[in-house]
Amino acid sequence: MRYDETEIKVRFNEVDSWGIVWHGHYIAWFEVGRMALLGRFNLLPQDFTQMGYVAPVVEVKCFFKEPARMDEEILIRTSVLQPTKAALTFHFQILRKKDGKLLATGEETQVLLTLDGRMLYIIPQDLREKLKPLFDYLEEPDSVA
Amino acid sequence: MADNLVGELKKLIIETLKLEEISPEDIEDDGRLFGDGLGLDSIDALELVVALEKKYGVVIPDSEVGERVFRSVNTLAQFVRENQIKNA
Repeated sequence: MRYDETEIKVRFNEVDSWGIVWHGHYIAWFEVGRMALLGRFNLLPQDFTQMGYVAPVVEVKCFFKEPARMDEEILIRTSVLQPTKAALTFHFQILRKKDGKLLATGEETQVLLTLDGRMLYIIPQDLREKLKPLFDYLEEPDSVA
Repeated sequence: MADNLVGELKKLIIETLKLEEISPEDIEDDGRLFGDGLGLDSIDALELVVALEKKYGVVIPDSEVGERVFRSVNTLAQFVRENQIKNA
């Protein structure tokens, strides 16, 4: 499975009084990774809305392994599995850039709703086609070392 | 025949959702499957839809149909019977 990679730098407002990144910010970092990946395939929230769908997050998991500190450069690695049901499950890895240390891993699941709030139990054909280039890209061998 | 399908569906629910602490006898034929009944959630519904399509060839497209079909094991069995006949 291939991961898309994007970089951020830890900001002052992200660290707590112990000098480490407050745990809640990792969820925002997942969002940075997801938007970077989806943006490359015109799959941003507004693209979903234009097609008549919204995709709310219904589950978030995060496992914290090592702390991140201010000014550290962070790599956010994002991937999403080919769906076996009408949901998109994203996988995330948060790494410290200078030594490649894995700081956290995470997972988020989004379901699909129509604009009037009907939950879709099957991914519609138009969306399936729109998602295809994303999955084709992610199924290529991982180019990130 | 009808009772067989109800029993079969209970087993399918337990196996699909890995409800290890629940046996088919614990699920009431007319009891609610979601919310305060068996306590299933929307992701469980998505898993069940895939399993039902695979085993019986029935399609539950969205929550509008799902709310009616997943009310209980009996309503689910009725849906499977009706739609299997249509598909045959």
